[in-house]
Amino acid sequence: MDRIRGFLRRPRGPDANIARLRRRRQVAAYIHRNLTKLTTALFIIGYAWMLLIPIPLLSQGTYIDENALQPAQVNTYWNWGDVHTADLQLYQLDGIQERNLTSEQRAEFFMTEFSKLGLAASIQNYTFSTSKGTISGNNVYAVMSSPRAAGTEAMVISASWLSRAGHGALNLRGTSTVLSLAAFLKDYSLWAKDIIFIISDDYLHGMHAWLNAYHGTVPSNLYTDPLEHTSGVIWTALNIDYSSHSFSHLGVFHEGLNGRLPNQDLINSFRLISHYTGGVPMAVYDHLEPSDSVDRLPEQSVFPPWVPVSIQQSPQLQQYGYRVRNVVRHIGYQARGMCSGVHGLMHQFRIDAITLFAVPADGPHGFHALGRIVESTLRTMNNLLERLHASFFFYILTSPGTFMKIGMFLPSAILVSVAMLFKGLGEWVTAGWVWEISEASLKSSETEKSSPAKGTWRNRRRSLLSALIVVVTTHVLGVFVFNLVCSRWFAEYPSFLAPAIFAAVSVIPPILLPLFSANAPEAAPSSMLLKSSNLCLASTVISIMSLLNFSLAAVLAIAMGVPLATSNTSSSTIISRLRYAGYCVLAWGWLVLLPGEVESAIWNWEVLGVWFAPFICIVYAPLVMQAAIVCLQG
Amino acid sequence: MHRASVWIFLAHLCTTSFALYRGENYREDLRIQPLRDGRVSTTFSFVTVLESAVPRNPNTLGQLDESQHYALFPLTLGQILREYAITELHLTLNAGKWNYDNWGHPHEAGVGTGAELWAWMSASEVTTVDERWSGLRNALSGLFCASLGSLDSRRTLSPAVAFPLSGSTPTFAPHELRHASLPSENVCTENLTPFLKLLPCKSHAGLAALLNPQKIFDADWHGMGVHVIWKEDTGIELKLTLQAVFNPVRTSTGKRRDWNLQLLFDRSIEQPCPVASSSSITVVLPDGKDHQISPENPAHVDGLVIYDLSSSSNFTIPYNIAMYWPSEYSFQYPLPPSTPATPLSVKRTIHGTTQTRGVLSVSVTNNSPQEISAGYLEMMPALLTLWMHTLKVEINSQIRSDLLSGLKYHPPSPQSNDRRSPSMLQAVLTIPPKTTLKISMEVTKAFLKYTEHPPDAMRGWDLPGAVFFPLPQLSHDTSSSYDWERIYTPTLLVDLPTPDFSMPYNVIILSCTLMTLIFGSIFNLLTRKWVVMEIQE
Repeated sequence: MDRIRGFLRRPRGPDANIARLRRRRQVAAYIHRNLTKLTTALFIIGYAWMLLIPIPLLSQGTYIDENALQPAQVNTYWNWGDVHTADLQLYQLDGIQERNLTSEQRAEFFMTEFSKLGLAASIQNYTFSTSKGTISGNNVYAVMSSPRAAGTEAMVISASWLSRAGHGALNLRGTSTVLSLAAFLKDYSLWAKDIIFIISDDYLHGMHAWLNAYHGTVPSNLYTDPLEHTSGVIWTALNIDYSSHSFSHLGVFHEGLNGRLPNQDLINSFRLISHYTGGVPMAVYDHLEPSDSVDRLPEQSVFPPWVPVSIQQSPQLQQYGYRVRNVVRHIGYQARGMCSGVHGLMHQFRIDAITLFAVPADGPHGFHALGRIVESTLRTMNNLLERLHASFFFYILTSPGTFMKIGMFLPSAILVSVAMLFKGLGEWVTAGWVWEISEASLKSSETEKSSPAKGTWRNRRRSLLSALIVVVTTHVLGVFVFNLVCSRWFAEYPSFLAPAIFAAVSVIPPILLPLFSANAPEAAPSSMLLKSSNLCLASTVISIMSLLNFSLAAVLAIAMGVPLATSNTSSSTIISRLRYAGYCVLAWGWLVLLPGEVESAIWNWEVLGVWFAPFICIVYAPLVMQAAIVCLQG
Repeated sequence: MHRASVWIFLAHLCTTSFALYRGENYREDLRIQPLRDGRVSTTFSFVTVLESAVPRNPNTLGQLDESQHYALFPLTLGQILREYAITELHLTLNAGKWNYDNWGHPHEAGVGTGAELWAWMSASEVTTVDERWSGLRNALSGLFCASLGSLDSRRTLSPAVAFPLSGSTPTFAPHELRHASLPSENVCTENLTPFLKLLPCKSHAGLAALLNPQKIFDADWHGMGVHVIWKEDTGIELKLTLQAVFNPVRTSTGKRRDWNLQLLFDRSIEQPCPVASSSSITVVLPDGKDHQISPENPAHVDGLVIYDLSSSSNFTIPYNIAMYWPSEYSFQYPLPPSTPATPLSVKRTIHGTTQTRGVLSVSVTNNSPQEISAGYLEMMPALLTLWMHTLKVEINSQIRSDLLSGLKYHPPSPQSNDRRSPSMLQAVLTIPPKTTLKISMEVTKAFLKYTEHPPDAMRGWDLPGAVFFPLPQLSHDTSSSYDWERIYTPTLLVDLPTPDFSMPYNVIILSCTLMTLIFGSIFNLLTRKWVVMEIQE
């Protein structure tokens, strides 16, 4: 017993402190000696983890967290008579489509339809001014004041005029669903919250204008009158997108602006309701599960055609491939800060919203199933006594019934960022020391070839100023480029200005660099300090982003992780020039290579306020340019 | 049935004799008004008068009170009034949002959502007004099964201009007003049952027999009120009111607006209340000629049809009144633009999406062709701080500060019990004809202690509606007519900074760890003895 106690008790006295310091030094020395191994291992684990995100093992089954929701526990009253109403509305809308009415005439029609139901309806005119000119339109909305409700809370049912299906497809069936639901829902006294029906113009900007007017946060480039009718705080919203003749699945789109996600309870309850009340399977996006899509396999497969069919049809691999498609699509939306539908505009106002997309098919479902599902989902939303608040905001939906918790995917990006931080700190330590070989040992090494030259580590000065100037200059350059890209000139002559900007930002650093390269001989080389600060900065950016927007952090980890860690000067001028060029393409190449993405990112920034474009110009590209400059500094 | 009528007969005998002796008087009225959006507004009022009675002088509170023998007046309420020496009392419990634009002014003005209680009491040396106010709240809360007890000093104010004494002023001592409202109060059957017990015939006979909870609480709007007023020439008047706005278009199968008593209440009047001195049903006839009413009654006075139920001669059992539109297949809602039914329409919202600040914006539209001066009263719990320097009065985005006068603002004041009283903003607005006036001011939202959050913290906080009231008319000013009453705006829900209570332990553990790390390392640095050591490799 005494031995155990003696073993556990810390030794006292000065020796103990010395032992502790020595131990600490040994650990630090061990880490420094094995730094390359350690960072390589962290990089490999981090990237491997990213690849493993879609495997079913890391996901878990969805569940309802908020007890008040009680999904699919009600009898629905939507019947074939209401389907008939919806069909009649659709007939009128078909007429509108044929007569090619203007936005104003359409809005008039919708407003009359809502007013005939006795709802407080109104039209909102709006105009956005962007660098590409003005965008205007007309939204129609109607407020149903629920019986006995104080009107302090509200739910939204919306449909945009254009469908997300693209190619100018009109959301006619979605719109007629909203109109017929308005006629149906107002006949019940069980609503505890007001219901707002919105038919927004165009695809995204109509709803954006409406939401900003409703919340009184009208940005400077939007002109709109205050709304005539208002209701309470909107908690939840459903956006209906139904453009085809009939549907087989209801796809849920959930990503919002700037990577925000709605509370997962909403999606989970919808899945249960869709399954049990409407008999319609839910899909994530418009991706069908492998078991559902046997006949559509070729077009939806993620495998290249040369992979043998036997491998392609292995159920595990198909499941993995299906989840890869979901995760990649999710990352594609979230990393770019784009919303995957009209619902995504609402998340910034603390409204939990999803888009229900009727996946086009020859059957078997139509208005009857959709109406019942929306009615039941509204009843579930109506049950809410508080906002959806359980910590269900960070997740990746890998399949309709499974999701990943934040703890299962966050470490992948964090590991890469830790590796970069270690690399940067290692570089900082290396920059501070120089191995100086004494003359005596030089002589002795000449005589005894086998023994290594003896020397001492000498401390050297690390002047951060030049590195700091480069860092600040690149970010300022990024701000200039961003303003230029958002200017009217860029919108008019993109094909000329994009290569010009790319050439300018690639040529300016080599010209300016000689002005700063006066390097004191005994001080640390500025390239090492620049690399160290660059890696530490990039690592910080990635780990902060991983909490706000995991997808963006993961993309940054892939784009910046290894390239920034391996930036190095080369003795050969040609190789270092080539490396520089490579980094320039990585930093600014999108200007020339991805004109479509540039245009949509600018539009998203100007109209919807998505931070992706400024982030890339002001944070990402300058960080990569710093690595490029590391290659140039000899 | 037979036994009930015997009891009623006995009661009749007793009450008549007592009523004569005490000078008590009971009358009841039901007013039915079809509205232009197909709804039907009904107002029950049950008035009991204690003739030549006088409110208790609070200076006599320490002494033995005179004995209380009532025949018709409810003893439970009478005891409360005597115990706390209340001169005038108004309590309303409402559910829903009164739609002034479509329904016009209500017959009883108190239609603010939730519970509202105000009382006039005179100051006394024996007990303070606030002590009696607190006792009154708790007594009424027990009587009506409502959470009136929570109308404490965080919600109590004294806006005497907007809520004047409606009866006469007794000669003893100056009077003070206490007013409080609770917008989140839910009104339901548990409040109606004690309400019915205050009536002399309960819900067995007379108009009160129509009060079927299943129908009343299915109405689009419903509310009940208790008003005690002292009038010098008559005495103490207790007026119990119940208003409900029904929607026959929703409840009928053919989406028609036809109504009858049986359809609205699912009950009919089987017998009159024997102690009622008068009992009548008044139907306000709508505009247009295409409606019919049964039973046909030739007594049309100013578009009103009055059915007298107290005179037993023309009382048929079961008694039913119906109104129908024979030429109408289903009801057609009036299409916009429709002119609002009240001279003023008010909208009030809180803008802004953050949990720390916002903008309170009120827009008042004058629909009448003449200028209206209105009092504007904002009674804001200390959850929100109104910033007066940001107050803007605009018409068509042009600043018109000249239209706002008599601005009075009491900021929230801290009280001894660590609570803060509400703030009160009162002003007079002059609204030019046919224009919309917009008032906006910035607000900051309070950061509450975590124990101050309610159990449903993520719901947000209900704020009472603002009140617009006609100004007391000056005798020499005859040009402008004030034919409107108090207007309540709908209540608001505001999000305050709220911790995530769904995971308190995670939050506590995380923040404690952080605190420990920071404290530990700083404490370590401060208390450590620094020495230079040589370490041999």
